[in-house]
Amino acid sequence: MPALGAGIGLRAPHYADFAAAPQPTGWLEVHSENYFGAGGRDLQMLERVRRDYPVSLHGVGLGLGSAQGWDEGHLGKLVALVDRVQPALVSEHLSWNATAEDNLNDLLPLPRTREALALLASRVQRVQDRLRRRILVENVSAYLEFAEGDFGEGEFIAELVRRTGCGVLLDVNNLYVNQMNHGTDAVAVMLAVPTASVKEIHLAGHLRTEDGLIDTHGDRVVDAVWQLYRTALDRFGPVPTLIEWDTDIPPLPVLLGEAAKARALMEDRHAVAA
Amino acid sequence: MPSLHELQARFAAALNDAKQTQPATRLFSGPRAMTLARLAIYRGNVHGNRANALAGAYPIARKIVGDEFFDAMAREYARGHRARCGDLNEYGEYFPDFVAAFPHTADLPYLPDVVRMEWLAHRAYYAADPAPFDASALAGLPTERYGGLRPRLAGGCALLESAWPLGRIWTLHQDDYGGAFEIDLDAGPDRVLIHRPAWRVQVCSLAPGDFRFLESASCGATLDDAFEAAAAADADFDLSRALTRWIDARVIENLV
Repeated sequence: MPALGAGIGLRAPHYADFAAAPQPTGWLEVHSENYFGAGGRDLQMLERVRRDYPVSLHGVGLGLGSAQGWDEGHLGKLVALVDRVQPALVSEHLSWNATAEDNLNDLLPLPRTREALALLASRVQRVQDRLRRRILVENVSAYLEFAEGDFGEGEFIAELVRRTGCGVLLDVNNLYVNQMNHGTDAVAVMLAVPTASVKEIHLAGHLRTEDGLIDTHGDRVVDAVWQLYRTALDRFGPVPTLIEWDTDIPPLPVLLGEAAKARALMEDRHAVAA
Repeated sequence: MPSLHELQARFAAALNDAKQTQPATRLFSGPRAMTLARLAIYRGNVHGNRANALAGAYPIARKIVGDEFFDAMAREYARGHRARCGDLNEYGEYFPDFVAAFPHTADLPYLPDVVRMEWLAHRAYYAADPAPFDASALAGLPTERYGGLRPRLAGGCALLESAWPLGRIWTLHQDDYGGAFEIDLDAGPDRVLIHRPAWRVQVCSLAPGDFRFLESASCGATLDDAFEAAAAADADFDLSRALTRWIDARVIENLV
């Protein structure tokens, strides 16, 4: 597969920009659930951009780690979308979202226990079996750290990769948010993740509050995260990198500017591959 | 350490209800005050995600009651209606029932029908795209047997009858509406068709004959029966003109 380089999320406020002219992005990522409908404007735009750009489907609602079970109907919709779009990448989050009573519609953190690992491994396997392809799993940001656990964050991901053969979507901003919120070492996590498993990197902005950092995807990437990104590039190579921006979405040129910055760093460190 | 099942049940309880944080706090490391503050961040996220989903499906209701009141309604809705689905586009399904029973908007008697209309519009937005009219059922069929065919409506087409001027309310609240913000709430009953001929959802007021005709068709009636229903509402109802109109409008997709 040719190198995808730097990409951005496709969001509704920018549909008109993509309909009007080709845009300088290596690829596009969308939230899978936004395209679960049978038809309509969103799917039409997705199929249109799919002709010109590689597309990544990024799931936010499956809840791989929900202990009570999950919605097979949701997985079925994902299977249908993957068949329709033939994306370059498919990813899900290492999180949970539902109890037997209700769905909390958020990316909630999991304890890094053997029990959670075994559950995730079976769920990742199930998704890969249904999609008949490897998926990427993303480390999430967390505002709370569980009192007990059996693994460090990097070791937990590495063990999941070993058991399922899945790839990793390394969210560097999430590593930074967790480092600031819990004092975990972002670089140590990266060093524990197998180099060949990382197939995508996410970069995003966050919100600094007196209660901790909040992963809002609503701002520019901060310098400390760019610095961690350099470390990630050195360790994992010129991995496809996405600028995530989901709230207070700015004009397209701002996003493209952030992606250009990522691309420049990628080229600076991996002249041949870029 | 409790089982994962138990841990998630306690975590969820603390996110659904700020008064149920006690069993959850012991799950986490760090000072208790920080744990409570961080739980509140999650609680805010859960509420924000759901409120955004409702606001996306019900923009007119939100404009009518105002952002702040709508946010409070979203909080009340979440208390009584547990989300069953990880797809937030489905989250507002029971909001029309909720609004119909919500005492604090009783002074807005048209609001329940407005939210019914908005949910149907939300469904139409994501429905399958209308296919070009398929006339294959007519091939070789003697004209006297056309009346036994059943018109099939395109996905997302819906019909709604109300004591309130829904079509006008819809038009007034569209972003590109530039006319006067005037409405006669006592204009009498309105019958609207909600559909999506291309990418944008349309809501249009129908004459009684057209409404009964499409309503019968949407319930699987034959052309003969749909005509009977339409003619009962409007003695001058013209079947061939209606067929042409609704086929051209991509409302009738085929005859089977």
